[in-house]
Amino acid sequence: MFATKALRQASAGAERAPMIKFLGKRTIPSSIDHAPHAHPASPTHKLPEGFGSSSSSSTSFSSYRQTAQQHGPLGNSAGKSSGILGAQSGHSLGPVTPAKGEYFDRSELPERFRRVPMSAWEMEVIDSGGASLSD
Amino acid sequence: MLRSLQLPRAATARSAFKQSSLPSVIAPRLRRSYATESEEKDLVIIGGGVAGYVAAIKAGQEGLKVTCIEKRGTLGGTCLNVGCIPSKALLNNSHLYHQILHDTKNRGIEVGDVKINLEQLMKSKDTAVSGLTKGVEFLFKKNNVEYIKGTASFAGEHEITVNLTEGGEKTVVGKNIIIATGSEATPFPGLEIDEKRIITSTGAIALTKVPESMVVIGGGIIGLEMGSVWSRLGSKVTVVEFLGQIGGPGMDAEVAKAAQKVLKKQGIDFKLSTKVMGGDASGEKVKLQVEAAKGGKEETLDADVVLVAIGRRPYTAGLGLENIGLETDDKGRLVIDSEYRTKIPHIRVIGDCTFGPMLAHKAEEEGVAVVEYIKKGYGHVNYGAIPSVMYTHPEVAWVGQNEQEVKASGVKYKVGNFPFTANSRAKTNLDTEGFVKIIADAETDRILGVHIIGASAGELIAEGTLAIEYGASSEDVGRTSHAHPTLSEAFKEAAMATYGKAIHF
Repeated sequence: MFATKALRQASAGAERAPMIKFLGKRTIPSSIDHAPHAHPASPTHKLPEGFGSSSSSSTSFSSYRQTAQQHGPLGNSAGKSSGILGAQSGHSLGPVTPAKGEYFDRSELPERFRRVPMSAWEMEVIDSGGASLSD
Repeated sequence: MLRSLQLPRAATARSAFKQSSLPSVIAPRLRRSYATESEEKDLVIIGGGVAGYVAAIKAGQEGLKVTCIEKRGTLGGTCLNVGCIPSKALLNNSHLYHQILHDTKNRGIEVGDVKINLEQLMKSKDTAVSGLTKGVEFLFKKNNVEYIKGTASFAGEHEITVNLTEGGEKTVVGKNIIIATGSEATPFPGLEIDEKRIITSTGAIALTKVPESMVVIGGGIIGLEMGSVWSRLGSKVTVVEFLGQIGGPGMDAEVAKAAQKVLKKQGIDFKLSTKVMGGDASGEKVKLQVEAAKGGKEETLDADVVLVAIGRRPYTAGLGLENIGLETDDKGRLVIDSEYRTKIPHIRVIGDCTFGPMLAHKAEEEGVAVVEYIKKGYGHVNYGAIPSVMYTHPEVAWVGQNEQEVKASGVKYKVGNFPFTANSRAKTNLDTEGFVKIIADAETDRILGVHIIGASAGELIAEGTLAIEYGASSEDVGRTSHAHPTLSEAFKEAAMATYGKAIHF
């Protein structure tokens, strides 16, 4: 505050310290604690029990893999042999996108990704051109 | 923080499929493609409202591959489509109409026959809305944000199934996911919303004729704003509020009292400390049974239209949260930590569907902060410096703590007050209702709260927000030059009154 500065210069004894202080350009601190803390607007000011401690709450995918289980342990430390599914990290397996001319077949995927089987009702609706919808 | 961007689960899973040796007999069939695969994104945002679209643009600016999924068909969410923006268009134009009707003669303006053309009024509102929503779509293109129109639900912790608006289904995979699905009007038990006679704020911005009478259940900001619009256009408006003051939580009691007085003068009736017991919409008029909140004489209110404005609740229906084990708290809010992370850390939540006030500008702040947390590991929202504004006339705006809250906290404080009747610009505008009230710590002089009622209070509050964000003292503001003649001088004078004395009062 220039007014304050002027006052300070004019009267060293009766000076007023301004509340606004210029702190300099904002920089991101080099080390930040990312441990979960309660949200400042949370009504309870605390996190629910188990928040951040379940297997699905690992801070990164690689740390998740250390504890995850799928047909056996997924973590590198748990299964070093190369023949086990998940023994290598996804990252080291290369890009996800199939190579040119290579396709994935839906029937090879888990059931939830496959086509939903047609019901008799659906076939009837199609056969009747939608006329049976009103039944 | 880049580590959460590095190792996508779905990527590993599919790579694992590539490793498996498939029987040669099915090899030719592998040529068939069902076109449901989607490129894995750095960030997928569910919801294209203020929180979601701001996060999407910010993510695009930060160089992330980002997808935003919105089911409404237009971007901008409640705020742009059926909230802040259309209501402000109606508030502004209905104020003009009201002023031309009642406040021109003493200004030396003589007008002839003044009529309202409701259809055109609504059209001008729609123009403002469509201009802004299309503007957001343009910003998406400019910042390389993929926009998917459809309804999203979680299929896994990284996979989202989208029921496309145009038909069909698509799977979107994201290394990080933000839920920004917003909120919806809280229904009133026993009253079925039809958006014609029993309406929420959504119906209140789209009525096709001016109702003769309107009862507003809830004397909060939304109820008073929409009540003002229809009162100015000719409805007999009665506001029923359960609490003993209008304005909802946060509004300073002294300001709330002043606002009620002014609105009453404008023709709005108030029934405070009154609860609605039930309603009947079977007749020509909607009948509402009300009685004193503490119990007492029952009364029936008749209305052509009943506006239910008792608040809003988080909207997370259909998201498939159960598929990934995410739960909401007792108020339907998704629980997050200080970095907006749920218990599944790569899934974050911002805006109305989580903690904090349901305000568009709070959601915007979070939209920027959450992307900064994802990209840089550091973000910032000061929940102690979020302004609130009620766009009635006069406007009411505040930031920080109100006097009751400061008193309850036990902190010694001082108050500076400056009325607009003593402000030169307000005088020239013939618009002198209201005052600026500043509350500061008695010991340090640090500003704790700013409360304004008056024309342009919503604009003036920015200075108060900045002062609180910077941790300014009232003397810091009082010693800062403000242009003359402006309404902002009232702010300076209120600050002067806080640490010393105002000059013009």
